Order: sequence, then C-alpha cells, then structure tokens
Amino acid sequence: MYEILEHAADLGFRVRAGSFPELLERAAEALVGIALEIEPIAERESYPIEAEGDSNESLLVNWLSEVLYYLDGKLLALRRFQVNSLSPERVAGVAFGEPRDPSRHPARLIVKGITYHQLKIEQNEHGWSCEVYVDV
Amino acid sequence: MELTPIDRFRFRIPRDAAAGMRTDCVVYASGALLDQIRKDASLTQAVNVAMLPGIVGSSLAMPDIHQGYGFPIGGVAATDWQSGVVSPGGVGFDINCGVRLMRASIDASAARPKLRELINQIFRDVPCGTGGKGPIELKPQELDDVLARGARWVIEQGFGEPADDEFTEERGALAEAGPEKVSARAKERGRNQLGTIGSGNHFIEIQYVEQIHHEEAARAMGLHPDQVVVLVHCGSRGLGHQVCTDFLAQMGAAMKKYGISLPDRQLACVPIQSEEGKAYLAAMRAAANFAWANRQAILHLLRGAFRRIFGEGLELRMVYDVCHNIAKREQHRAGGAVADVLVHRKGATRAFPPGHPELPEAYRAIGQPVLIPGSMGTASWVLVGAEGSMQETFGSVCHGAGRLMSRTAAKKGRNAHDEQKKLEALGILVRSETRDGLLEELPDAYKNVDEVIEVVHNAGLARKVARLRPLGVIKG
Repeated sequence: MYEILEHAADLGFRVRAGSFPELLERAAEALVGIALEIEPIAERESYPIEAEGDSNESLLVNWLSEVLYYLDGKLLALRRFQVNSLSPERVAGVAFGEPRDPSRHPARLIVKGITYHQLKIEQNEHGWSCEVYVDV
Repeated sequence: MELTPIDRFRFRIPRDAAAGMRTDCVVYASGALLDQIRKDASLTQAVNVAMLPGIVGSSLAMPDIHQGYGFPIGGVAATDWQSGVVSPGGVGFDINCGVRLMRASIDASAARPKLRELINQIFRDVPCGTGGKGPIELKPQELDDVLARGARWVIEQGFGEPADDEFTEERGALAEAGPEKVSARAKERGRNQLGTIGSGNHFIEIQYVEQIHHEEAARAMGLHPDQVVVLVHCGSRGLGHQVCTDFLAQMGAAMKKYGISLPDRQLACVPIQSEEGKAYLAAMRAAANFAWANRQAILHLLRGAFRRIFGEGLELRMVYDVCHNIAKREQHRAGGAVADVLVHRKGATRAFPPGHPELPEAYRAIGQPVLIPGSMGTASWVLVGAEGSMQETFGSVCHGAGRLMSRTAAKKGRNAHDEQKKLEALGILVRSETRDGLLEELPDAYKNVDEVIEVVHNAGLARKVARLRPLGVIKG
C-alpha cells in the first residue's frame, strides 16, 4: 500500500514498513503501481535484482531506478519484490512477475526517473517510512 | 522570499537572500503570475541554482516557472566553460524534450469534416510507447548511428524529406556526441522507442492558425490564418531518462571528489572540464540526437497518416523544431566581454534574435522561431527570438504555460468521459492512451499561456508571431 503525494509537475509516493528491507520492497511495489495496472500481473517468473549506494537514500533511489529499468528496458511486468541481503552499500533480492504483454498489462503512466527531490527516509518507534518523487 | 521589482516584468532576488548564493536571481513575471509562482518552491530552487560553482550572470526564471526537482522548470543558468560546472539536473531526465511544428497544405475549414478520422489514424500510426514497443526497432549499430547523427540518419533511411533538418535547432544533431558514453541499459531502453511520444505532458496536437501578430515572420514560416498546423511535444524517451539516471548515480561520489556541496542532491554537478563532466556532456548530446531522430520519425509517421486521410498531395512541411531541456556550449556577451559558457535550459527555449548566424537562411531576417505549447483546451504560440534575449537571458525564453495544479488535484472529482465531452463541445477532439493522462493535463491544471507570452513579449525577449488553437489532441 502506498499514498500518492502532491507535486506541481511530478508525482510522489509515501510507503511505510517494519524494516528498511521491507521499505525497499514496498517502495518498489508502489513504483510499479504508478506505472502499470498491478492486478493482471502473474508471478510466473523470478528475476534477480540488485543495486548499490553509499547511503540509505542512494540505495533506495538506485534500487528504484533498477526496478524502472526492469520495467522499461527489460519490458517486465513485476508484482512483488523480496530483499534477500542488505549491507550499507548494496541491496540484492528477487522480483516476481512475467514478461510484459501490453494487451494484458496496460500502462498507467510512463515514469522517466527517480529523483532525490524532497526524498525522505524516516525511522521511529512505529517502523520505517519514505517519501519519493518520480519524474513523469 | 524577498523580491525587488526591477520594472513591470522583472523582479530580483538579491545575492544576499541566502547563504551560498554566488549571484542574484532575475524572475520574469507579471504581478499576477508571481502570485502563482510563490505558491510552490520554484523560487527557492532558483536560489539554489544561484549557488552553482562558476555561474555567469544571474540565475534566471522564466514566467512559466514551476517547481521541478533540483532546477526549477523554466530555469536558465549559464556556467563558465573553463571553470564552471555541468548539472544533469539542469537538463532533466527527458534530455532534449522539445517541440516540433509542421504546417499542412490544408485549412481548418476543409479539414474539420475528416478530423475524427485523422485523429484515429494518428492514434493508430504514432504509438505513445506505453505498450513498451514502437514502430521502429533499431539494431545496435543503427542505434549508435542515431546517437551520432540524429534527425539526418532518420531522413537518410527514407523517413523524411531532405529539407526537414534544415528547420531543426542544430540541424537535428549536436556535434561531439558520444554514443560510447551511453550505457548498455540506456540503449536497451531506447532501441524500440524511436517514433513514440511517451506519456505525461507529451502530445501530438492538430491546430489551426487563429491570429497572426507579425506578418513578415508568419510569411517567412509559411503560416496564414485558418491553416492547419501540427505540434509535437516529446523527447528522448527511456534512452535519455536512463542517461540522466546513470550519471546522477555517479555524481554523489564525484561531487565529494571535487569538493562541491549544494543544498539539494538533485542539483548534483561536476566541473565541465572533469572526466565525469565531459562524459556526461557526450552522453547528453547523444541522447539529444536520439530525441531529434524521434521527432523526425514521428513527422514521417504523421505524413503517412495525413496522406491516408487527405490524399497523397497533402504536404506537411517543417516550420521549426526546438529543444527545451538541454545544456549547450554557446558564446554570449556577459558584462561587455564575450563569454564561453554552458547554457542550461531546463524547461526553457533557445530564442536567438534576427541576424544570428546559427539561424537557417529563411529565418535570418526574422529571428529564430520559438514554439510555446499551451494546455489542451487553450492556445499555443509561435514567437521569434528578440534582441533582449541575447542581452539578458543567454538567448533564452519560456517553454510553455507552466503547471499550476498537481496531477492529483487535477483529477479530483472529475471523470475522463465528461471532460472529453466538454472539450468536444469546444471543438477539440481528444484521444488518450490512459484515462489519467487526459485528466492530469486538463486546461485548468496550467497557467494562462497568454499571460506568460505577454511577459516575454513585453520584456523584449521574444516577439509574438501567431496564436494557434487546438482542433484535436493525441495523448499518452
């Protein structure tokens, strides 16, 4: 689940999770939800996915950029993400979905890129949350 | 934010407004537009741009300015070619997003009865690309040729007429492009996207010339009242987006290496003369060439659609093609001396005045055509660059109406079917690939384009040539 955030030109989303790895999973699912209709996507295949960074912020941005590349470059329709390992510089996991079939997987919006604009990652006693703005 | 009026259309944010500013900001706006501009963070972003190392002259804000990420959209900044920085955020994800205008050899009065047929034909022939595939799939060597040679390569494949690139900024290709600096993933995203418009605010609009304001310039462009024209707004698609993503990912470490610190990571920048700066500019030029090739391929597809509906004799000729997301090396007078600068135009259009040597012969006496799309139900404008742009704004002017309302606010309480009917009642047919695409781009989500044009016309940056009204819109 994610909330959409208002922005004059672009689009943002906020997600909450119990841990940072889960936050990465939820944020990836939110991004797919903005780009594609999620409902028709089947978890037929699994695809390894990883990203590097020098902070939680850059790990999140680079991880989401990788998801975007899987959607737009590899033409995959992804539904669920699972982070299997996380270090301060690297996140690795698996994406579940199938090759994109435009007749079954209609697009909602083409996302151009993930920005650092007003990027926020917070941790408190309730868990983790992040706010991410994407260029559309 | 404290602004000092300079005159009716110019306001200044002084250099001491925030710590770290290296220069002042000059905002071009009317009082009414300024009230709208103040509602978002765009002026803070213009102040952040004033902190870029090596900035020459002022950080400039055009009247269509609105909040972007890093740079404001509608921002212009020149940096010194030797000692300044290049900022990928000052170009944006959609490298060489731009506008191309063609004139048709048919008037609106004759075209109206077949308009729905035409819109449907274009909707079939020119894909948005939301399905992940375009009409042209490029082999790796062909893609490298596109990245090096832009629109010319597409024309040589038979997708265009010989004179098309003459009326394109930079003749449709920036020199010194580096296809080898474009990553394999960027190429993967681009290889089947040539000839697609994308989504968001990108569109193909069938319009007619409503009013002529500058007879001589309109004549030089071959425009007359009631004539059908076509405006295409799109960019470098996934290829350009990935180039920006790739370089932004490297910039954090590079900025540390060069000791650069800025308040917003999205403003990330490196010295122009650094290895990273040179690589980014080479990749950016290649992506810009991809965008020109893309708009050229779309023109070819549009010619086919028009001829299918109106017959083989129908002509679709280029008026001009300008980019509004780019960083270009240019020579400008700054404080009397000629300065060698990199002009970042983020949501801003080049607007060279009459006599500039880079203009095609046909436009040398009138100035460079500047194409300003308005929102879906309103109007678009053709301007020409004026002398003031060279004196004040590094040969630059606005690029559109400027968003007023967020995408979520625009959709609230509305339904696509009703809105489509309302536009049809105004004589505007709309076809959109996605329901949200239509609602997010409704006319009242934008500022009044006429007010924006009044400011740049009266400030002497550009001059009005023609006002265009929409007949039909194809959207992503």
